Amino acid sequence: MTILEATKIYKNYGNKFNKQEVLKGLDLTIDKGEFVSIMGASGSGKTTLLNVLSSIDKVSQGSIKIEGNEITRMKEKQLAEFRKSHLGFIFQEYNLLDTLTVKENILLPLTVTKTPKKTAEQKFAEVAQELGILEVKDKYPNEISGGQKQRTSAARAFIHEPSIIFADEPTGALDSKSASDLLNKLSQLNQKRKATIVMVTHDPVAASFSNRVIFIKDGQIYTQLNKGDQSRQTFFKDIMKTQGVLGGVQYEH
Amino acid sequence: MSIKHLIFQNLKKNIKNYYLYVFALIFSVSLYFAFVTLQYDPAMNEVEGSVKGAAAIKSASILLVAIVSIFLLYANTIFIKRRSKEIGLFQLIGMTKNRIFRILTIENFMLYFGSLLIGILLGFSVSKLIIMILFKVMQINAIAELHFSTEALAQTLIVFAVIYLLIMFMNYLFIKRQSILALFRIVSSTETRVKKLSIWEIVIGAVGIIMILSGYYISSKLFGGDFTTINELFLAMIFILGSVILGTYLFYKGSISFIFNIIRKKKDGYLTIKEVLSLSSIMFRMKSNALLLTIITTVSALAIGLLSLSYISYYSIEKTAEHTVAGDFSFTNVNDGEKFEKSLAANNISFHERKIRVIQADANLKNILDTNLEELNFDPKKMKLPVISDQAVDTIDVAPGQAVFTDYNNALQKFMSFKASGQFDLIGKSKTIQLTYLGLRNDSVLSLDFTAGGLPVVIVNQTDFERLQKDINPAIQNKSTLFIGIDVKNEDQLEKANQVFNEFKFNGDSARSRLEISNGMKQIMGLTMFIVGFLGLTFLVTSGCILYFKQMGESEEEKPNYSILRKLGFTRSDLLKGISRKQLFSFGIPLVIGLAHSYFAVKSGWFFFGTELWTPMIIVMILYAALYSVFGILSVLYYKKVIRDAL
Repeated sequence: MTILEATKIYKNYGNKFNKQEVLKGLDLTIDKGEFVSIMGASGSGKTTLLNVLSSIDKVSQGSIKIEGNEITRMKEKQLAEFRKSHLGFIFQEYNLLDTLTVKENILLPLTVTKTPKKTAEQKFAEVAQELGILEVKDKYPNEISGGQKQRTSAARAFIHEPSIIFADEPTGALDSKSASDLLNKLSQLNQKRKATIVMVTHDPVAASFSNRVIFIKDGQIYTQLNKGDQSRQTFFKDIMKTQGVLGGVQYEH
Repeated sequence: MSIKHLIFQNLKKNIKNYYLYVFALIFSVSLYFAFVTLQYDPAMNEVEGSVKGAAAIKSASILLVAIVSIFLLYANTIFIKRRSKEIGLFQLIGMTKNRIFRILTIENFMLYFGSLLIGILLGFSVSKLIIMILFKVMQINAIAELHFSTEALAQTLIVFAVIYLLIMFMNYLFIKRQSILALFRIVSSTETRVKKLSIWEIVIGAVGIIMILSGYYISSKLFGGDFTTINELFLAMIFILGSVILGTYLFYKGSISFIFNIIRKKKDGYLTIKEVLSLSSIMFRMKSNALLLTIITTVSALAIGLLSLSYISYYSIEKTAEHTVAGDFSFTNVNDGEKFEKSLAANNISFHERKIRVIQADANLKNILDTNLEELNFDPKKMKLPVISDQAVDTIDVAPGQAVFTDYNNALQKFMSFKASGQFDLIGKSKTIQLTYLGLRNDSVLSLDFTAGGLPVVIVNQTDFERLQKDINPAIQNKSTLFIGIDVKNEDQLEKANQVFNEFKFNGDSARSRLEISNGMKQIMGLTMFIVGFLGLTFLVTSGCILYFKQMGESEEEKPNYSILRKLGFTRSDLLKGISRKQLFSFGIPLVIGLAHSYFAVKSGWFFFGTELWTPMIIVMILYAALYSVFGILSVLYYKKVIRDAL
């Protein structure tokens, strides 16, 4: 079942005289329960793509449907409403409020939807258990490690069971051990909760944890790789190959 | 891009950001200029006749400069820190420190002297209004004229130029001392890192609250008779001052986070957006601003307290004058009285005359006096009190053997209060009359001449009075034993009657006019109130601005938080509601504590200043709170902008 459908999306920056096209008529569909990675060189537009898909930024043209809801034409208030019930976010910079404890940070999305306290408590215990951050629940973000921060951020994204979770370079600021830890947890949650995850990354290892990798180049989809039944190792090699072909700058004589 | 362009660009940006700073600068310059103009104004000579008007205004203007320069210097440190990144960037691209300093100097020069100029113009145009206000509160009937005084202009320019040089000197030191790296880091290093509440902080929090409360408690006991010597009183006052100020500091340092933490613990992690934005943020912010907040709170308490007290005095003038002079006019000399009455009659002013025979008698008040003040310089067993018959007062009737007191000074009452009833003796030359004391009245019957500055008047039955009269003790009698009170029947003729009174040039000790006395007091108290009022206003504006600037900084630091929250799906209005609550605390806590401090300060000693506590105090407090909250509202509007730009 298709959960996200983007057709012919364009995104321009700047004014009439100095226009910069970042997304150039990109089409994308994501099915429910998928774990999709978006890869591409710096400046290829992958973060912009994530931002427009997640309704944080507006497209210049085209349509984006999440669970059948057209989000490009929504008003600010409707968008906020939509985000709080349908979307979850994980960012490279953790994006935790440092005046709140781990538990308070995680429970934030539930207070938007006014979930009863008892249910909230139950959900918190579950997700914190799964991500292994139950012991640090009363600490402040300053007092825990980067990996724990990112898992807190992930827990916050998962707790209200959104339709899609958007992750922007979630492993970018982590060491390799914490990074693989987090990715393992993410793919576990993806399987267990049937959560749809869309992740932007430039790290092939991170991408190899997902089911499908979409390569972006100059604002358009360059190619896609499906994991299928192959092991993570072989999928990783595939990704590396494609990335090699994709390159960064064209080398011309 | 030339340097000139850079300066203009910066200036444009700054004015938008710092409009409140510019406003505060213009406000203080214009107020200062108006004050100095007043000081050199020929019209002030009229004020000078009775009080040292110009001298008072001059000292006020010095205080004004002190407040303003502290404010400007402090505001400057906030601004330069905020611009440290920009300064670091300039250095990074190879500008020398001197060059950067020059840019800042020129930029500041335009902003500062531009405001100075506007301020002076504004000050000149409102100086007439200010003089009119002064005349109004002093009840002087003079016409205010607009005088441009070059002396005032020169003085204002010099004073503010000196402040400008000081600011520049501070900037110079700041730039000289910083390395490029430090400049980039400065913003993040000023705020303390968020950590868990330690036991130590909980102790600090509890101690802070206890100190404030004990200060309040002692202040309520201050004149209640628990402190019996002047030394003890003095020590108690020092204790109150110290414990309240230190307590306030600890309150900000620990109590706020302590209390808020308890609330948060109760929520068990489930915080609504309002609580996220208000509770959790303030908990950590107040701690790092503890010193600033303590100063602001203490000085606001001082300002509110002084304003209340001066307004209490001003407000109570009529009442005080009534106790000083019983009746519109009073005489103790029969000749003077008759001369005045004749003159009144000749001027067709109808009046009512009261003549009261007053005997001074020693009273033994030991049984009814409720005091333990040891250092009284008189003997409660032998206190000289004026005694009159109940026939002299229409409204009071006393049975033989009984007595009531009246006309007792407010402040004295606090030191020596009477029991509800009891026995006391009036000692004549040979005999002693025992009387039953029935209570204290508040009628004004005799002028100050008879009551030794505020002691009560004893009213007894005519028969007792006659007994005492026969047994009079001549050694303690006043020169005159007759009180003549004259009330003008028609209020409209009072002014005219007063003119007649003034023409006589009576001896001030035997003839008194209530109007004259209340006008005199109004001049003194009016001037005091005027000065205290404007100083208080200046302080209010400057401290409000400082809190606003602090909030500006905070909002920018918290901007990433707002973008997270908006990404999570909180709407702008959700955030704004939370912010409004945060501002309610940020501005409300210092205000409420300041108000509470001044309330207890005023309450402990207001009776020295007047007769009415509540109305004037509440009026002052409401006005102060209303003006102060304007800054809170402005800061919410600023936050609104930041939230809008957060996503």
